[in-house]
Amino acid sequence: MVIQLENVWKIYQMGDVQVPALKGIDLEVKKGEFLAIAGASGSGKSTMMNLIGCLDLPSKGKILLGGDDIAGFGESQLAQIRGQKIGFVFQQFNLIPTLTALENVMLPLEFQDVDTPAAREKALEILNLVGLGDRVHHLPSQLSGGQQQRVAISRALAVDPEIILADEPTGNLDSKTGAFVIDLLSNIHKKDSKSVIMVTHDFQLVKRAERIVYLKDGEIERIEHKPKEQGGEFA
Amino acid sequence: MKINKSLKLAVNIIVHSKLRTWLTIIGIVIGIAAVVAIVSIGEGMQQNIESRLGGLGADIITISPGGGRASVGFRGGHGGGMPGSTATSAAAENLTKKDVLVLQSVGGVEFIQGIVSGNGQMYYLGEKATVSVEGIDPLVWKEMTTSELESGRFLGPSDYNVVIVGGRIAKDTFKQPLTVNRMITIEEKAFKVVGILKESGGFGGDDSKIIMPIKAARDTLEDVGSDEFDSITLKVANTDDVDQIMEEADKKLMISRHLTEKEKDFRISSSQSVQETMSDITQTMTLFLGAIAAVSLLVGAVGIANTMFTSVLEKTKEIGIMKSIGAKNSDIMMIFLLNSAIVGLVGGLLGICLGTGISSLLPFLGMRLMGMGREGMTTVVTPMLLIYALLISVGIGMVAGVIPAYRASKLKPVDALRYE
Repeated sequence: MVIQLENVWKIYQMGDVQVPALKGIDLEVKKGEFLAIAGASGSGKSTMMNLIGCLDLPSKGKILLGGDDIAGFGESQLAQIRGQKIGFVFQQFNLIPTLTALENVMLPLEFQDVDTPAAREKALEILNLVGLGDRVHHLPSQLSGGQQQRVAISRALAVDPEIILADEPTGNLDSKTGAFVIDLLSNIHKKDSKSVIMVTHDFQLVKRAERIVYLKDGEIERIEHKPKEQGGEFA
Repeated sequence: MKINKSLKLAVNIIVHSKLRTWLTIIGIVIGIAAVVAIVSIGEGMQQNIESRLGGLGADIITISPGGGRASVGFRGGHGGGMPGSTATSAAAENLTKKDVLVLQSVGGVEFIQGIVSGNGQMYYLGEKATVSVEGIDPLVWKEMTTSELESGRFLGPSDYNVVIVGGRIAKDTFKQPLTVNRMITIEEKAFKVVGILKESGGFGGDDSKIIMPIKAARDTLEDVGSDEFDSITLKVANTDDVDQIMEEADKKLMISRHLTEKEKDFRISSSQSVQETMSDITQTMTLFLGAIAAVSLLVGAVGIANTMFTSVLEKTKEIGIMKSIGAKNSDIMMIFLLNSAIVGLVGGLLGICLGTGISSLLPFLGMRLMGMGREGMTTVVTPMLLIYALLISVGIGMVAGVIPAYRASKLKPVDALRYE
């Protein structure tokens, strides 16, 4: 088990009103699992994603990462966990616009104090893997959406994390490039046996996961298991 | 994250916001340039004073009559260096031969001479001028003076109605330059010029004086008693002993003249003490003007802080991204701190160049605008000044960047990521 959520609540203060975004979530994410978190907007899936990604701390309840409660970690420890164990893939790609593709992929390695030549080698290797070997010196603005998302996936993979967290990874892509990106993610899951957690409201995408958690109004509505063979198949 | 990586990212931010960064840099450039230029004027004045007062000789102590307990005064030089100085001494009791004898007993004194001085009407080829006349002991004077002969000779012990003429009087006072062997008239007495002094350019020197044997001066100038002197100068054997000898001379004179501290009617000064006073004054002035210039630096610093806040705001999303991929607070802090330090550094470097340029132009401008004399003003840019200016500019950059950088580092990753 990689991540365990125990009765997790997240409550936002909106003026005088307290708005609960998550209401007592219990969930375990196993090692090497391809999990989808599905739900309509406002269902609390982004909040859940932020909590799993150690970007935020729960208001109540526990999030255990490899057995440790993340609430006990300081900011720089959380940063270290994010940097070493979690790779983020965002809907908006979220590349640094002033850095080239290569520099973007090298960045998480540099935050982990990896030597420049080693970081460079690793970044080039991954960019080649995702088919961007000839685009490494391009700025994000010179790349198409699909290419940018592949750079973002490369960046997420650079530090060889245990978990890939993808937040609507195809939300800004057309269906063809979207499918390619999903294939990429499921390949990563299968080949490197990394845990992939994908947040989406796209029910076509959801089908690619092994397990689907349906969220509604901050609560888990149901959990759907799919046989291993079916999950991660090419569409 | 290693510092060179942070530096790279900091430079990246600067490179991608050129216009704003340059505008910010200009603020620092102006401030540093102003400080460098102004301090260089001060340094120039300082050096000017040092070189000019050097003409007095660091080993000379002057005792002159006059009230006031201040032992340090501008009335340095060989007593009565400036016209009209006899007027001040007239009120006080003059120095006498007895004082010379007392001072002779002070240890460490190599030479001693009494001097009479005053102003006299001088005629030369039908032209008239008021000159400062100094009667000296011919045997001792040439050992004590720092003036050099341009032509002719020093005075000898048997000379009577001969004079040595200061360089400025010889060259500039009369239409026809004075030369050796010319005859001049001072207070209706005829004198032959036997020597012309080189111009020293300083204010303590003998440029504007007529030097004559003390016997002749007593006969020529009014109001000088036969046993009295307008000043006594001592030359010490070792310049390190100046302060100590001054103290001893002061004590002995007080005793022999039966004076208490309150009744003290003479002054003891050395060129060193004069120099120190002058240095103090120029330093204070430089500090004052520098402080005014520093105000513009302060404005520059506020400019940096402002730009940094804008930059942090603009980069909020990127800060969120960096945090989500493992940037620690200290990494973010370092990137933005380096960013503002670089702004300070570049501003400092350019400011130094501009300031040095201005300071090298100032002597020309100064002469025109302020009607400064031939010596004009000099400006000196020392390496220390440049190093300080650079350190200050980088320091200002970092101080101005601390709060924005701290804010950036404290941004919550979730909020920063959501920022558009």
